[in-house]
Amino acid sequence: MSRIFIALIFLLTSGVSFAQKPTFTVGWSIYAGWTPYYYLNQSGILKKWADKYGIAIKVQRFDYAPSLDAFVAKNIDAVTMTNMEALDMPAASGVPTTAILIGDYSNGNDALLVRNGIALKDLAGKKLLLVQKTVSEYLLDRAMAINGLRDELKKVRLVNTSDADIATAFLSDTNTAATVTWKPMVSQILKQKGITSLFDSSKIPGEILDLTVVRSEVLDRPDGSGQKLAKALAGAWYELMSQMSATGPGTDKVLSAIAAGSQDTLASYKEQLSTTKMFYTPQSAADFGNSPDLKGKMALVRTFCFEHGLLGSNVASADDVAISYPDGSIQGKKDRVRLRFVSTYMQLAAQGKL
Amino acid sequence: MSAGILSVHARPGRSATVILSWFLFAAGITLYIFTATARHRENPEERVMPTLVQMTQGMYNAAMQPAEDDAPSSEDVTQAPSVARRFLNSMLWKDTVATGRRFLYSMALLLPAVILGLHMGLFPYVGAFFLRFVLFFDKIVALSLLPILFIAFGIDELSKIMLIVIGVTPTILLDTFNLTRGVPPEQVVKAFTLGANDFDVAYRVVLKQIWPRVLNSIRLNLKSVMLFLFAGEMIASTDGLAYRIALLRRHMGMDVIIPYVLWVALLLFLVDLSMRWINHSLHPWFKES
Repeated sequence: MSRIFIALIFLLTSGVSFAQKPTFTVGWSIYAGWTPYYYLNQSGILKKWADKYGIAIKVQRFDYAPSLDAFVAKNIDAVTMTNMEALDMPAASGVPTTAILIGDYSNGNDALLVRNGIALKDLAGKKLLLVQKTVSEYLLDRAMAINGLRDELKKVRLVNTSDADIATAFLSDTNTAATVTWKPMVSQILKQKGITSLFDSSKIPGEILDLTVVRSEVLDRPDGSGQKLAKALAGAWYELMSQMSATGPGTDKVLSAIAAGSQDTLASYKEQLSTTKMFYTPQSAADFGNSPDLKGKMALVRTFCFEHGLLGSNVASADDVAISYPDGSIQGKKDRVRLRFVSTYMQLAAQGKL
Repeated sequence: MSAGILSVHARPGRSATVILSWFLFAAGITLYIFTATARHRENPEERVMPTLVQMTQGMYNAAMQPAEDDAPSSEDVTQAPSVARRFLNSMLWKDTVATGRRFLYSMALLLPAVILGLHMGLFPYVGAFFLRFVLFFDKIVALSLLPILFIAFGIDELSKIMLIVIGVTPTILLDTFNLTRGVPPEQVVKAFTLGANDFDVAYRVVLKQIWPRVLNSIRLNLKSVMLFLFAGEMIASTDGLAYRIALLRRHMGMDVIIPYVLWVALLLFLVDLSMRWINHSLHPWFKES
């Protein structure tokens, strides 16, 4: 149904525009920091900016994993993903990727929840539900490491559980001691009596980043159309960010319109935003991108990815999937830069030059 | 008679049959290699379509090395174990055993369904009691009941096996029921006039002759069994073939996923083949396939 709808829109729009405009597709999936893309498209803000740069931008919603697959398969040009997946999916698969917007970081959205008030040190030998090899496992790893319990980690019985079923699985099977998951499941699980949060992402601020990434190959197109895409996305994004952070009666209207993108209510969306550190101003995002902090946090992430074999079985060292930063420094081998952080577009937005 | 090669009367020769029957395999493999090579030329780190070498390497590692989550302590590495021993410690074997065990349990649980179907078809009171409910139950999409299954059976083995049982049992039940009804009533009457009792009629007359068709029906439902099993393992699991595939998908480990999928296909094919063979040797008089 929706495919037919998209095909129809495509037919209509392609019929209208006689001049061949460069067309790009942006994929997004449901998450507090990404659902704004739904509204960007819906409200016409994105179209306004695309028109300004003489390009066309299509927006499509995916489930998270398929959105990554589509990006790696080069079916879409830009997508929303976390810093960890940016490194272990496209970058490690030889699809050089550039992070153009740092939207937010998880500031409590991801959490380690336990039953009957057990402590972190008691987790050994107990069943813990999580989606393995994702930021959930990263959070668990960090929780144990920070508390000096890294050796205990191997003794925890991890049960790989699909995120669609994790809330019901944890709530209904009382033999499971703990779970690591993200919002909105976290909120749903915490409503049950006797469940407490032991650790959440607010204790590792800035390590789970939510990005908008573009394939480097698209960004560097010689005709400059990729640059236009990045500029249009940045322009549209920060226009909406200022609306979301404004104080006034209009803000709630914007927020409920965004929440509608994930069939959510205003209250629930606001609750999720409260644990999401949004970079509402382009300056704050650019500052974060330019700070040496980012390198330290990415160093933790890439070590985790390498230790868990997420960079691929034939990668001999974490340096083989190198990361470059806005100040020109490179983490890893110079000739193998696969993930770039650039602050150019956030900076341009901050200076009002878009 | 100059029948064209597309006519009903065409008689392909032995070599033509062999070539034709393998053609699509060869075409598929060639197309894959061609595309994979092209993609690797463009991007040497390509992971979506691994080359044959990469897949062989991936499968070798899977079959010869233990899974990373239960990596042995470093002392074990000093003594080089035999190939068979390494295989028995490998990720592939561990996953196969886990999945195979669930598979066998659920197959065993299909047997009561056959007996119940037989009784439903033969004994009017049993039929009246069960038939309407089973007909309704058959239309339930088992996967959508997962939260209830979790509550009733926990998230361990039992819920996965029950998912298969709920998904496949009604089909087998109704099929057995229909087959039982298909036995000519004259035979039943005849058996009674020859002095048989209810038990004799059910197990020695009816079951005996529908049994090969029941086996066939189970055989044709192998794929559904596997589908439900995979769904269960992907939803919540700590081991199994589908668990591994779900994990590997997280970082595009297609070099292992593709051989795994082929391995599952091979195992299913072998189960299918052996069931056909058993059916044939148990019931040499049965000629349908």
